[in-house]
Amino acid sequence: MTVTGPPAVEAIGLRKSFGAIHAVDGIDLALEPGRIYGLLGPNGSGKTTLIRLLAGLARATAGEARILSTQMPSRPMLARIGYMPQAEALYPDLSVGENLGFFAALQGTRGRDAIGRVLELVELADRRGSPTHELSGGMRRRLSLACTLVHEPLVLFLDEPTVGVDPALRVQFWAHFRRLAVAGATILVASHVMDEADRCDDLIFVRSGTVIARGTSAELRAGAGTPDLEAAFLHYAGLDAEGRPLETAP
Amino acid sequence: MSASRIVAVARRIAQGFRRDERTLGLVFVVPIAITLLLGWVIRDSEAGDVRIAVVAGEVSPVADALRTAAEDADLAFEVTIDDVPDEAEARDRVRGGEAEVAIIVAGLRGGPITVVTEGTDPSGDAARIGALQALMVRAITSLLPPELGIAVPEFEHETVYLGADADSMDVLAPVFLGYFAYFFVFILTGISFLRERVGGTLERLLATPVTRGEIVLGYGIGFGIFATLQVLLLIGFTLLAIEIPAFGPIPAFTIGLGVTSVGSPVLLFLLAFLLALGAVNLGIFLSTFARTELQVIQFIPVVIVPQGLLGGIFWPVDQLPDILQPVAQVLPVTYAVEGLREVMLRGADLSSASLQLDLAVLAGIALFFVALASRTIKREVA
Repeated sequence: MTVTGPPAVEAIGLRKSFGAIHAVDGIDLALEPGRIYGLLGPNGSGKTTLIRLLAGLARATAGEARILSTQMPSRPMLARIGYMPQAEALYPDLSVGENLGFFAALQGTRGRDAIGRVLELVELADRRGSPTHELSGGMRRRLSLACTLVHEPLVLFLDEPTVGVDPALRVQFWAHFRRLAVAGATILVASHVMDEADRCDDLIFVRSGTVIARGTSAELRAGAGTPDLEAAFLHYAGLDAEGRPLETAP
Repeated sequence: MSASRIVAVARRIAQGFRRDERTLGLVFVVPIAITLLLGWVIRDSEAGDVRIAVVAGEVSPVADALRTAAEDADLAFEVTIDDVPDEAEARDRVRGGEAEVAIIVAGLRGGPITVVTEGTDPSGDAARIGALQALMVRAITSLLPPELGIAVPEFEHETVYLGADADSMDVLAPVFLGYFAYFFVFILTGISFLRERVGGTLERLLATPVTRGEIVLGYGIGFGIFATLQVLLLIGFTLLAIEIPAFGPIPAFTIGLGVTSVGSPVLLFLLAFLLALGAVNLGIFLSTFARTELQVIQFIPVVIVPQGLLGGIFWPVDQLPDILQPVAQVLPVTYAVEGLREVMLRGADLSSASLQLDLAVLAGIALFFVALASRTIKREVA
């Protein structure tokens, strides 16, 4: 991998504690522009907290998060970031166009062009006037992604973006992500679905708030000596095939 | 501060309202319907007939004199008087519901006059006994020999404010303007902001460059517009009385309550608006302590009802028990009620020190809750 400039997203000794619980426990990261990173780990492993720290939605207990060389939290930098939360996070009483228009206005993006373009992208252009509560689950997920993309952010944090999304739509989502990365965006996708990992350029395995392994899908499988990514995760996590802790390290 | 982001938040609230017919009905139709119903009940309820059983014994002319006095007097209720032979019979009639009042006259010279009522309607009893006392004085005076020259003077009632014929509605209407705005705005904002927190939109909102101040101000303006329209509608409905003539089978009726106001509608509006602004931000603040919409509803008996009891709507604040008076002094509704009555009933303008205090306190409370509400929006960047 050749480094062409400063990393788009950096974490330096990042730590977030809630009382005695260390949700993020000293994570170092450097994510390059134009790549898709997969943040993989079980529920409760600290993926969402890490994303919230990087996106400036939470303040670190220790360490630093930087986006485009700016220390987070930074309000002006939020206009360069796209954040898709796990929850639907849409206004059901508003129409598709109104939801998009609202988040576009908060991001300082004006004009119907931006909204029209992003609606084309998620294939909801013909539903612009429909009330959001009348949409199907998959359509709402697409609208949620559109709200994240409407201001053309350089850095994207997508928290479980394909949960509840059917396989056909999932393929479309990943095609969108790839196009954005090719255009130069840095994308961090949190997921607990290992079969999506092969679509990422780089994987970051997290468990109990720490990074347990990093590399491409092929590197991680080779390192664990298994063709199966799930088995590789268990290997790096020090768990046996049934998810129980191994007695001693091999 | 970005005006366009504040406008975006306010517009978002208005857009949400537009598709929610039920909430629109709650905001605009329900207050009018309740005020109309209240006005109807207060003004058009008829006092029931009063049947009196009189036991006068050796002074039997008393019953006749009372009957004459009742016929001459202009009473709110119809009085029928029956002479009954003994006390037991009179009490039985009251117990059996055949009479509302029994009057037992032991003697005209010094003996007590016992009045027996059924006892389950204290306020009705008080009104009836008051009227009967006046009748009794007339009746007894009429029995005295005319050469004594004793006559009962007539009372002539005049008032400083309003007319002597003003009813409870004239005094209650001003406070209803404020109380409705407070109640509905509080509930709507509380639930709306809870949805922001629970539904994840607040999280998405905070991942944009919008500031907490812009969110709170946008909310204030968004709900403020609806509170404003609500208050204007209610002021119009309360003050106006548009006579609709009879048409075909429909009898003539009046739209509006025609309550007399001597003050400026602009001041009424200002008071109600400041109260509503405080309610918006109280709603945002308290939504922090609720996890579900039901839990927002649970704040009604905690926040809204005590203000209804202590805020001077039904009982004047200075007549409350000593311990409760300081409590009433910190409630926004107290100042709004006082201010609305000052303006509507006494015609106070901005030169009135009392009205100045009411406006200042309401503005202060609104600002305090604006600050408190923006503190509760948890975010690491201001």
